[in-house]
Amino acid sequence: MAGIYVHIPFCESKCRYCDFASFPDKIYYAESYMACVYREMAMRREELKDLSFDTLYIGGGTPSVIDERYIAMLVAAVKKNFRLSADAEITIEINPGTVSAGKIAVYSACGINRYSVGLQSALDSQLKELGRIHGLRQFLNCAELLKGKNFSADVMIGLKDQTAADVIKTIEVAAEAGASHISMYALTPEEGTPIYTDYLNGELPDGDEVADLYEAGVKRLEELGFGRYEVSNFCKKGMESRHNMNYWRRGEYMGFGVSASSCINNVRLTNTFDLDEYFKCILSGHLAVIDREEVDEAGRKEEFIMLALRTSRGLDTAEYRELFGSDFLKEQAAAIEKMSEYIEFRGNFMRIKDKYLFVQNSIITEFLQS
Amino acid sequence: MADKQHIRNFCIIAHIDHGKSTLADRLMECTGQVSERDMEAQLLDSMDIERERGITIKLAPVRMFYKADDGEEYELNLIDTPGHVDFTYEVSRSLAACEGAVLIVDATQGVEAQTLANVYLALENNLEILPVINKIDLASARPDEAKKEIEEVIGLDASYAPLVSAKEGTNIREVLEDVIKYFPAPAGDENAPLRALIFDSYYDNYKGVILFVRIKDGRVKAGDRVKTFRSEKIYEVTETGAFNPSPVPKDGLSAGEVGYIAASIKSITDVAVGDTVTGAAEPAAEPLPGYKKVQSVVFCGIYPLDGSKFGDLKEALLKLQLNDASLLFEPDTSQALGFGFRCGFLGLLHMEIIQERIEREFGLDIITTAPSVSYKVVKTDGEELFVDNPSHLPPASEIEHMEEPIVKADIYSPPDYLGQIMDLCREKRGVFLQMTYLDKSRVRLEYDLPLNEIIFDFFDAVKSRTRGYASFDYELKGYERSKLVKLDILLNGEVCDALSMIVHEDSAYPRGRTLCENLKEAIPRQLFEVPVQAAVGGKIIARETVKAMRKDVLAKCYGGDITRKKKLLEKQKEGKKRMRQIGNVEVPSEVFMQILKTNKD
Repeated sequence: MAGIYVHIPFCESKCRYCDFASFPDKIYYAESYMACVYREMAMRREELKDLSFDTLYIGGGTPSVIDERYIAMLVAAVKKNFRLSADAEITIEINPGTVSAGKIAVYSACGINRYSVGLQSALDSQLKELGRIHGLRQFLNCAELLKGKNFSADVMIGLKDQTAADVIKTIEVAAEAGASHISMYALTPEEGTPIYTDYLNGELPDGDEVADLYEAGVKRLEELGFGRYEVSNFCKKGMESRHNMNYWRRGEYMGFGVSASSCINNVRLTNTFDLDEYFKCILSGHLAVIDREEVDEAGRKEEFIMLALRTSRGLDTAEYRELFGSDFLKEQAAAIEKMSEYIEFRGNFMRIKDKYLFVQNSIITEFLQS
Repeated sequence: MADKQHIRNFCIIAHIDHGKSTLADRLMECTGQVSERDMEAQLLDSMDIERERGITIKLAPVRMFYKADDGEEYELNLIDTPGHVDFTYEVSRSLAACEGAVLIVDATQGVEAQTLANVYLALENNLEILPVINKIDLASARPDEAKKEIEEVIGLDASYAPLVSAKEGTNIREVLEDVIKYFPAPAGDENAPLRALIFDSYYDNYKGVILFVRIKDGRVKAGDRVKTFRSEKIYEVTETGAFNPSPVPKDGLSAGEVGYIAASIKSITDVAVGDTVTGAAEPAAEPLPGYKKVQSVVFCGIYPLDGSKFGDLKEALLKLQLNDASLLFEPDTSQALGFGFRCGFLGLLHMEIIQERIEREFGLDIITTAPSVSYKVVKTDGEELFVDNPSHLPPASEIEHMEEPIVKADIYSPPDYLGQIMDLCREKRGVFLQMTYLDKSRVRLEYDLPLNEIIFDFFDAVKSRTRGYASFDYELKGYERSKLVKLDILLNGEVCDALSMIVHEDSAYPRGRTLCENLKEAIPRQLFEVPVQAAVGGKIIARETVKAMRKDVLAKCYGGDITRKKKLLEKQKEGKKRMRQIGNVEVPSEVFMQILKTNKD
């Protein structure tokens, strides 16, 4: 398993919680930017020629804000430069406020087979508060355009004045509209974002309140047939995001574009977050990498554990032995004993009990060495 | 080298803030010891803490040469002394090396409690006393009243006392002339076997232990073989010198002089302040009288925050003890805090200073337990023991009764604040003894107070309730029977020994309740609910609950987040390492510190 990620750093406007590389005022650079991304792919082509990829994920920013032809060319460029399997999962993130029937048709024609729709909330007041450019109506229109296609909806919890009923309503709207997959994230107020001020002012729900919202959401999702396969991800049977599962299995992935990261051969690379610098590097024939980290065996184990324990299936001890040549149960005997209340075994898998998935950091840290 | 007749060894005693260090600086300036250009305010206070807090902790010697009005040149050795009540021990050390004491009295404040204590100490040591009235430059100066007070309260003739302003440098020469006129030259026989009193020491990385000495008899120079009375180990003197005020090598020291000796002494446990240095070949028959053995009054546990730094902490305490023999310590273990030391101090300020010096001078992060006092426990079988650590208390069933240390406290205040002071003393279980009007504006209140009640914040409370006008001094009086109980704190049912304390029966409930409330706020939430309880003799008297943690998750973790989130988790893990395990509850070390600090009332 291996995946490709492409970052499209443009938006119509920046949401108040957004901490990603996105430049609403530089949307006119899209054409040149995409040209650079194609070029960056060509630069990596030789190095990755033996790797075969199963997923492509076009994220952002708002990939749907730029001309759909760039996206079609992007998918073509990926296929031209790399070995992308015939049944690859190809996902694009779309904002309900920026789609049209024409766009979806182009996406579909170029091979995109999965859509990730940023719904966040079914309440217009909350959408406005977040700085989203769309309302519920736009989402419903968007869902109409996606009828018969495989799509996921994002739902946010931990919003100002949000009640459990609001979360449930949003989930119901997404399910009703035909989503096969729902990601339910707790809002993380990052320093430097406008919403961080709300957080400092104590306007956002505290940890206990978020936990209540989460529990209410999980309950409703399960009632509607969405099973939890990762702490924030739920889907109808068999509709897991393969691209994201690859991350949690510590698979390899290659990222292109501003701020994109990669992990190939146990080397983690991160591209620059600066758009101008990205242009400068690529145009002068250099990669735009600003950070390179070789992950040693201890680090690989830590990553494997922390990622696997996010998922409902848990950590595959057989795979652990295959990867690291050592026995997880022996190596972690002390932590397993200490955490016995909170974990359980199913065959080869060790998982965090459902009840404790939302307090997983405290449990995972027990398994980190050093 | 000056002959004995031209040497004067003296110290300066004063109440805190009356201008001792400033006067010392002026004397040095006046004798040309340091040029004005090089003057850094308060030269003798060399420790950072001393300069910052504006107090003198360590005594610091300095040698000055002064050409007197009689045309002769004199060698003046000044030994600066601390002013605070906790450092009486340091004062007595320097007094033993002097023949005279300059007594500074603030012209605006008159005689203070501490002034008296130090004067008595000086008189005990047969020192001549020269009163000096300072701060005459201030508008509120009342030098005549100050003189009258000296005569009435202390019983010294103050008619000839120089009126000076150390700050402005007024009449400084007069002080020096009086030092020569009134203080005797040192006695002692240069030709007798060497006897040198060690009044201080410090550790130099290159020269080993440096001994600060007053030569009483004989002489010493580099190359001499010497020993101390206590250890019998023989050392070869590598260097002798005087204080300038920084140490400057000088060929030989002889009777009457003050200086230092270096002799490649490697082990800091081999020499003790108060011991006598003598010749190895021709030892003196008798050592000089040493110092009064100190009695620790306040105790606390000191533990390294990082358990692996136990050895470093031990080294730090040993080095501090080298020039502060009043610091006592012994290894101790705590279930909550790990390996550390139980330390004894002369008082609260002394404790604070030591804690701060460990952190600053040795770069160690430490955690300290609540200060406690030593209780006398009389067991049912008649055995008596002293317990300063609550966890060493015998089971309640074996205790016949307990006694606690009582101090006699003198509080000096303007009459306006009597009510506030009396209220405070009542709250602190004080017993009123008597009240004396010293003059129209000053009253002395005498109280018996349990030491336990004043080791926390009594001094601050006195100051704040009297807007800083009152001052306070105390001395240990003895032990009295009292209704004392051991208050335990339980986390999830386990006693947390670091938080146990011995308290008066009446304050057990409010203390326990406050502790539980504070702990509830301070203990991070765990994966499970944690009851926090206070108990006296197995009976629960207060309870709070730390609710189970509900959210501890990184919402998203995709390709771009992995490195960052891994670091976050590693940091969280790192934080856990600094936690102490009480049963199955993890408590950050900082919590203990926070609780012990807020535990003041």
